[in-house]
This record gives sequence, C-alpha cells and structure tokens, in this order.
Amino acid sequence: MLRLAFPLVSHLPRTKPAAVRPRPPLARRYASSASTSASSFSPPPSPLLPPPLPPASAYVHLPFCRKRCHYCDFPIVALGSSSAPSPGGGEAAEDPRIVDYVQLLLREVSATRPVSDDGVPLETVFFGGGTPSLVPPRLVATILDALRARFGLSACPEVSIEMDPGTFDAARLRELVGVGVNRVSLGVQAFQEDLLRACGRAHGVKEVHEAVGIVTACEGLQNWSMDLISSLPNQTQEMWEESLRCTVDARPTHVSVYDLQIEQGTKFGQMYSPGVFPLPSDTESANFYKIASKRLSEAGYNHYEISSYCKPGYECKHNLTYWQNRPFYAFGLGSASYINGIRYSRPRRTKEYAEWVQKLEDGTWCHESRSSDMKDMALDVVMLSLRTAWGLDLQSFSKSFGKSLALSLCNTFKPFVESGLVIAMDMDRRALPHIDFELDLQNEDDFGSRVAFIRLSDPDGFLLSNELISLAFGIISP
Amino acid sequence: MAGAAVLRRSARRIYRHLAAAPAFSRSVLQQPKRLLSSQSSPEHGARGAVSGSELALYPPERVRNFSIIAHVDHGKSTLADRLLELTGTIQKGHGQPQYLDKLQVERERGITVKAQTATMFYRHVSASQDSDTPKYLLNLIDTPGHVDFSYEVSRSLAACQGALLVVDAAQGVQAQTIANFYLAFESNLSIIPVINKIDQPTADPDNVKDQLKRLFDIDPSEALLTSAKTGQGLEQVLPAVIERIPSPPGKCDAPVRMLLLDSYYDEYKGVICHVAIVDGALRKGDKIASAATGRAYEVLDVGIMHPELKPTGVLYTGQVGYVISGMRSTKEARIGDTLHQAKSTVEPLPGFKPAKHMVFSGLYPADGSDFEALSHAIEKLTCNDASVSITKETSNALGMGFRCGFLGLLHMDVFHQRLEQEYGAQVISTIPTVPYIFEYGDGSKVQVENPAALASNPGKRVAACWEPTVIATIIIPSEYVGPVIMLCSERRGEQLEYTFIDAQRALLKYQLPLKEIIVDFYNELKGITSGYATFDYEDSEYQQSDLVKMDILLNGQPVDAMATIVHNQKAQRVGKELVEKLKKFIERQMFEITIQAAIGSKVIARETLSAMRKNVLAKCYGGDITRKKKLLEKQKEGKKRMKRVGSVDIPQEAFHELLKVSNSK
Ligand SMILES: Nc1nc2c(ncn2[C@@H]2O[C@H](COP(=O)(O)OP(=O)(O)O)[C@@H](O)[C@H]2O)c(=O)[nH]1
Ligand SMILES: [Mg+2]
Repeated sequence: MLRLAFPLVSHLPRTKPAAVRPRPPLARRYASSASTSASSFSPPPSPLLPPPLPPASAYVHLPFCRKRCHYCDFPIVALGSSSAPSPGGGEAAEDPRIVDYVQLLLREVSATRPVSDDGVPLETVFFGGGTPSLVPPRLVATILDALRARFGLSACPEVSIEMDPGTFDAARLRELVGVGVNRVSLGVQAFQEDLLRACGRAHGVKEVHEAVGIVTACEGLQNWSMDLISSLPNQTQEMWEESLRCTVDARPTHVSVYDLQIEQGTKFGQMYSPGVFPLPSDTESANFYKIASKRLSEAGYNHYEISSYCKPGYECKHNLTYWQNRPFYAFGLGSASYINGIRYSRPRRTKEYAEWVQKLEDGTWCHESRSSDMKDMALDVVMLSLRTAWGLDLQSFSKSFGKSLALSLCNTFKPFVESGLVIAMDMDRRALPHIDFELDLQNEDDFGSRVAFIRLSDPDGFLLSNELISLAFGIISP
Repeated sequence: MAGAAVLRRSARRIYRHLAAAPAFSRSVLQQPKRLLSSQSSPEHGARGAVSGSELALYPPERVRNFSIIAHVDHGKSTLADRLLELTGTIQKGHGQPQYLDKLQVERERGITVKAQTATMFYRHVSASQDSDTPKYLLNLIDTPGHVDFSYEVSRSLAACQGALLVVDAAQGVQAQTIANFYLAFESNLSIIPVINKIDQPTADPDNVKDQLKRLFDIDPSEALLTSAKTGQGLEQVLPAVIERIPSPPGKCDAPVRMLLLDSYYDEYKGVICHVAIVDGALRKGDKIASAATGRAYEVLDVGIMHPELKPTGVLYTGQVGYVISGMRSTKEARIGDTLHQAKSTVEPLPGFKPAKHMVFSGLYPADGSDFEALSHAIEKLTCNDASVSITKETSNALGMGFRCGFLGLLHMDVFHQRLEQEYGAQVISTIPTVPYIFEYGDGSKVQVENPAALASNPGKRVAACWEPTVIATIIIPSEYVGPVIMLCSERRGEQLEYTFIDAQRALLKYQLPLKEIIVDFYNELKGITSGYATFDYEDSEYQQSDLVKMDILLNGQPVDAMATIVHNQKAQRVGKELVEKLKKFIERQMFEITIQAAIGSKVIARETLSAMRKNVLAKCYGGDITRKKKLLEKQKEGKKRMKRVGSVDIPQEAFHELLKVSNSK
C-alpha cells in the first residue's frame, strides 16, 4: 500500500506526446493508487519510512567550462580558452583534465551498488555541468556504457546533455547522437551581445544562431530545450521580448526560463544587489516572468513547472524525477543523489571528490547525512510538487502523511485560494470555486470529497512560490 | 572579565564576593594620589567584628545620620567612597569605585538607583576639648539620584538629620541640585554645601558660592571645597558632619519604633530590611510588627552595614542597620513603613505612601513561547523591586504578557535593562503610557493604564479627560532659551518661571503633561542644547485635557498593542508619523496591506503597502534540493518570529520603532 502511495507521484496531463519515439509509461507505474483511494478513511500511516524504490534516473556532472560565468556558483572546473574543441573530437584534442575526471567518474559508477537486483533499468540520464559539450563524445559514450553495464538502460531512455553555443559543431553533435544522446539543453541565456558579455558567457549572439542551426538540422534529434535567463543586469523589457521572440522562432520542444539569482561568492554577488539598478526592480523582474509565461503560452508551450515550458508531451522526464520526489543516482563532482530515502551531495572540490571515490571503492565510506524522516519527506513532497502545474495530489499526500495534515495545509491556503494565488481542483482537474473549496474543509470527513489537487496559479502563484511554500513548511514543521 | 560575571549576580550581595573576585579591575580605580591621614579606629576596621556591647557605646549624641545629595555626576558616589576609605570601612583599592552603586545598570549609567547605607566609626578631634577624642558612629544613607525614586529619597532623608549637598565646582548648580536641595530643605535637614572637583582647571568655586547664595540663601562661608579625586579638603567633611548636623532625636526608653528605609531579597537569608531606629532598642528575638500590614515577625538577625552585614544582636536609638525577620517577600516590606514592638500600639511615623505608578507599559516575550521564562524573570526581579506593579494581560498581536506600572521612565528603563542583563529575557515593550482618567456622560470614571482597554467606541459621551502633569526644571546656557521654549510649548508645556541663575545660565520651570516627556523629551532637549541642558521634574496635579484614543489598524484589524492616547490636536500628526513608520517596518506580503490610524471610526491617517511582487527561486539546481529547502526553512523561521494580527505579519522591530515615535514632535 505504502509502496504504491509513496512517493507522491503525479502523472502529468497525458496529452498525446508529439515525440517520434515511443515513450515508456513512466508516471503510470507509480500512479495507480490515486484513483482507488478516494473512499479510504484509514488512519494516517504510522511514521515508517516507505520501502525504497529503485532509482530509474541518473545525473552525471561534467564540470568543465571555458571560464566561469559571472552568476555561476556551481562546482565547475574552468579550462581556459585554449581548449576549444576540435571538430570531430579527435584523441589529440582531449584535455588530460577531462580524461582524468571521466576516469574518476567511471570509478564512481562501478563502485556504486545498484539499489535493486531485479533489474530496473535507467529511464533517464542527464549530463549536466559545467559545459558537458566540452567533453569529447567518445568519453560521453564510455560513461553511457558504464551506466548501461552497471544499472541497465531501458529500450528508449531519455538521454539529455547540456550544450553551450560555440562549443560544438554539427559533426560533434552527430557523434553525440550516435552514442545515444537524444535530448539537448542549449544554454543560450540571451540574444543580446551586451548581455552575454556582461554575464561573462564564453559565446556571442553569432554562436547562438549557429548552434540553433546545428541543433535543428541534426538528424535524429527532435527534442531540445532552449535555456534563457531573465532579470540580467541592464536587461530591458524590449530585450526580453526579443529573446522570447527568437526563442519561439527557433521552435525548441522545451524552454527553461531561469530567473537570475545573485549568489554569494560569485562575481555578480560582489557587483550587484538584488532589486537594485542595474538589476531590474522586483516589479520589473516579476513582469519579465509574466511576459515569458504569456508569450510562451501563446506560442503553444505548457508552463508545467516554475521555470519550465514545453510543447505538449515534451516534459523533461529527468527533471520530473526531481519534482515527483523519486529517487535518482548521481555521479561526479558536487552532484546530489537521492537513494534509499537519503540525499547526499558529493564533495565540490576535485581533490576531496577523488578521495571520496577512493573510500567508496574501499567500502570505507558510509552516509553521514541523516536519512530523512516523515516530516522531511512531507516537506520535500510539498516543496517539489507545488513547483509544478500538476500541483499537490491531496489523496496521495493524505495517505502518506495523514489526512489532518493535508487538511491543515488546505486551511492555510484558504485565503490564497480566494485571492487566486492558489488553485484548488477536483478529480478531473477542474478549478473549484473557493466557496466549494471551503465547504470541503469544514470537517475532516468531508475533506477530499471535492478537492483533489492544489497548485499555484500561473504566473502570480508561481511568482510567490517561496512565500506560499514556506507557509506550508510552517504547518508541516512548526 | 571575571568581575563582570560577579556583577550580574543579585546586585546587593556583590560585596560578599569581592574578596573572592580579585579580578575587579583595579586599573579603573581613580584613587587619590595622596593618602589621607586616616583617623579610622583600628578596632573597627573593615574586617573587625562589632559587638552589641560596643554599639551601646554610641548613644544618640554620638550618632550622626546623613546623606549625600547631588546632581548626577557631581561626585556623590566618589565622595562616599572616600569617606568609607577614610574611616577604614572599606580598604583602599579593594572595591570598585562607586562602592555603593552595586547594580550593573547603576555602573553603566553612573546613577544610583537603589539607596544604600553604610555605617562608619570615626574618632573626632574636637577643637574645643583637645583632651577628649570621642568616637562617633556615622551612618551614610545614600539616596537614589533620580526623581523617579523621589519617594525613596524622601524616606531616606526622613532618617537623616543632615545632608551633604555636593555641587560640581565647574558645572555649578544643575536641575537635580535644585530638586534635591528642596527635598532636603523640606525635611528640615542641616545642609552642608560641598563644592567638589576643585581640582579641575575650569573650577570656579566662587561662582558656585554665589549661585548657592542666590538660589538657596546659603552663606558662602559654609561651603567646603573638596576634590574627591585628589583628596584635597576631604579632612573637613566628617568634622563638619559631626559639628553641624544634630544627633538623631528619639526616646531611648520608649518601646522600639523604626523606619523601614529599604528592603531586598537574598536567596539565602530571605528579605533583608534596612531600618533606622527612631525610639528604643531592637534586639534579636524581639517580636515586631508592621504598621502598614499589621503582620508580626520575630527578629532573627540584626546588625549594621559595615559595609557588609555585621550581626550585632542589637541596634540602639538613632542607629541605622538591618533586620532579618522571616519576611517572605519584599512586598511585605514597604518602604516608609513603621516597624514597632509587636505588643504595643504606636503612632506610625509620618510620610508612608504606597508606591505610585506613573508610567505603564506592556511587557511581552519577544518569542511568544518564552512566556514562562519571562514570567519567572519578572517574578525574580520584583523580589528586589517591589515598587513595580505587575498584572497579566493578553494582546491580540503579542500574546500573553504583563502590564507593568513604574514609578517613572528611568525606573522603567532600568527594569527593562535589568530583565535583559540579569535574567537574559528578551522583551517587547509597548509604547509607555500614563494613567489617564476618562469620565463619561453618565458620571462613570475609568483610570486607563492600557490604552487598548479603553473602548474605541464607548457608546457614551466622554465628559472629560485628565492626565498627570509634572513640574519640570530646566537649566541651560542662555543662548539655548529660544529653542527650549519652543520645545516645551510643542510639548504642551506651560511656563511657570524664567530666571537667570548667573550671568550665563537660565532656569526655566514648566508644567508639562507627563505623557509628553516620557518618550524622547530628554534626548531632544539634549540635542537642541548641545548636551548642556539639565533637566529634572517632580510630579504635579492632574489637568483636564482634550484626549482621544488612537487605534492603529492593519487591514481593518486594530492592533491592540499599538493603541495610544493622544491629545486631540496632535492626533493627526502622531497618527501620520506612526503609520509612515509602520509602512517602513512591515514587509510586503502576498496581499496589499492598508495601515490606518483611526479615532473611533474616523480614519485620520492611511498608508498602503502594495503586495509583494515576487519571491521565487527559478534556478537550475540539478536535483540538489537541500539548499533550496534550507532557504525555505529560513523563511519559515523568519515568519515564526513575526507577530501576527489578522493575516498581517508584523516584525518585532516595528514595535521597538514605534516606541521611538509615539509622542515626539
Ligand atoms: N576631577 C574630578 N573628578 C571627580 C571628582 N569627584 C568625582 N569625579 C569624577 O566624576 C565622575 C562622576 O562621579 P560620581 O561619583 O559617579 O558622581 P555621582 O553621579 O554624583 O555619584 C566620575 O568619573 C568621578 O571619577 C573630583 O573631585 N575631581
Ligand atoms: Mg553615583
């Protein structure tokens, strides 16, 4: 029972995928209990951890960049401008730092024990960075081979890779597709020369257009994402509209719109403070967010997560793993895994990471990080699912964490359902008038007879997600 | 410093720790360079025991009870130190300066809050009979230097027959000099003027003599010139005390009768009372009773403060000392009360008054869950300060707390500070208020100690309102007269007097509503006079005023803890200021917030705080949700610290900030 009810998994609206490849019914595997539990008034489950599910996703961190962007606080290794990729990625061009790192990473993969022996294969693999496109395709292939050998790969896995304009040519992309990559996430960020320079990006607008050309022309690659950043210093509304127009024109299947966060310890962190010129004010940057939501929706994209848009059926399956609170492996510098209910972040420095891999191989490493308890799980579920348009599945939530907690959450959100920041929906995902919602909350027995989901509204609720989610945190963990 | 830890203990017992705490910094001592020729009697050195039979050697003729009165910083405590050293009561360099100021707040602010008392023995070489050098028992009864404690001062003075009026030779007569002089004068004390700090380069003792003559009609030849710093002139002080101050009156053979000067609570010994024996003698084992409460006690221990508690088993007529009698709380030991032989009925000594609370404020735990801790801290503190009145109250914004009544502003500040320093309690206090009286058309009257408790729409006509006033004395260099007059009239003051005390300085007397001076008046006065003004005040009558209750509303909901009573003509301005200030301190929330000041149902000031636009983390984070989660947890904790009215979260700082505006300008 628990195993089925938890983790909270919600299938996304199952409009017919436009993808050319058949897609495995990923979400359905976990979703079966939702419809059978409507009449169940069983007491909340005792706070036992659910039996772990085997991960079906793997994140692989490839930390290399030409140089660090001014906003970036990820664990990366800056190679310097010397290491421009040679077309075709011949042996001679391979940077020993990359080769050594991949070696280390392969050791981590083989030292990692699969969670199940019943052979649940990987459904998604995500090469993130850094700039993974700087890694020669041959090495990417060795990693995929290692993953396949260790955990198995499903018949049609989603294999994504982050690529930056100016780091690849058509041949190199073809090669990547040849070794199994089938989804590209293109780090464009902006379509204005000045903005790209001001961010410390290693490419210009020309490279952006070239890269878009290469990706769209690539045989066997239908699924690609354009990544943009809003609220950059000196960015105007006109520039933002322009970037969105160019994006729509390029017809990616997916768009990620990140909102610039000024992080401590970054160059931007030293130069700027949020909301203060030349950064846009809160009002302006909220406006950018709303414009993106409007323009991209008009162009046929679904705003399925706070910062993610896709053409119907093109959700990033790998990222859905995160938002649905499902387990995933992770490999490489600074990467975070979620296995057997335990979240673990690897060391962010190469030396410590190497030492850690050694310990892993020696079997002398064990998790220091505490495993999450019921409360932590509930926090994760709320925090992650409220980022999505699908929202929080109240029946599943009640089943895992108790009906009264679900009811308290709804009560907390009551004023915001009324003001429109939060949307309550019935079983058929029709929005409920707030009067009906409130009727449902009057006593615990009736609760759930109408309302089945709550989600944050687009764009106003999404824009205040931190506020709304931290309110929920106050209920779950007072 | 180890000394600091000791200081934080129960203030009155500190001297017991002195020997064990050599870390009391000696470097801060400002000892006179030259040792005075000590006339102390060796048999009563600081460590010598004093027996009851020895006390019998001091009949009233050989006893002098006096206090030192002065404007703050003119050297009262330093002079007291010197006299204690001179008589060998304390050893030089063995205590911190201002020996009698034992509370941390007293040291920090350089003020005396609690009156202290010490007994000294002194062999006096009389000018007339050089063969006879009789010993005297001198009781130095220190007094608080502030008007808030004027009742305590008056009780201390009631046990004295004389006072040293200390005046800084450079600063001359200041506001508190005048107030203290009149208190002493009204108590019929012999006054010995002491012009102190004559070592200063700017000292002008002749000018000070002129002022004393002009203001108090003191003969210039009576003034002693001293430096408590260098020791110059100090040798004249105690002879003057003996020669010019009469010995205590009192009937040695009457049943015992004594004035209760002060009391404090000691964890080990219970309540310790300081008393002045007016008639008769008090012995260990005697049965005594309180005139105020009628309760009877047995004397368990009796002795003198030398300066520590020294049991003697007996105190004779005219002597001053301590009594321990099994009282459980200082509330049983009312300052100014008369204690007397239990069997006999006696005439109570005049002047006993219950504490009068003039300033009220609500005290709430900064973190709502700490109510128990705050309650405990307040209980402990009031053990030693029975003059604070405490009642529980509940606020919609701040939860459970206490309404506290204080003798005055300083008393309130000191109480807050001691709560934080000695008991580590974090508190939010509401805007201080004074006891107003509202009379309605139907003849009913209410005293309002908490503005929130006054009905905003009483449904009946307010016939009249009264508020307490004070008479303020302000002394300033004459070039500041203009701005000070402006300030006083802004504060609704009425001028009573405007004179010059010498060529450069003016004295102003005003009647002012107490409410107008309890917030920020003194700071502003200091500000506009470059710090030169000195200020003192005494309670005066209630006056009729046009007063209204002003509510602060957030999205239509009144915030009870922010309600105030203001003068009708100032309501608009104060309301506007409060509302603007709140707008600054309340953070944007997920909805628009209207902030209003209202009198009854009439809104007099209004601000809107627009809804928050954005608080979202839209960042690529590769499955690493831990940082994001931490951020949300932090945000949640931030919300928890807020106080909430309706759906609006109010940061604690907003309450602190309102204290600053409420009444100014
Ligand atoms: N120059 C000088 N300073 C003095 C003298 N007497 C006291 N002081 C200093 O004046 C300040 C205030 O003295 P204090 O005894 O605390 O004054 P109180 O407020 O009247 O008790 C202290 O810094 C003393 O050291 C003196 O005769 N000469
Ligand atoms: Mg003093």
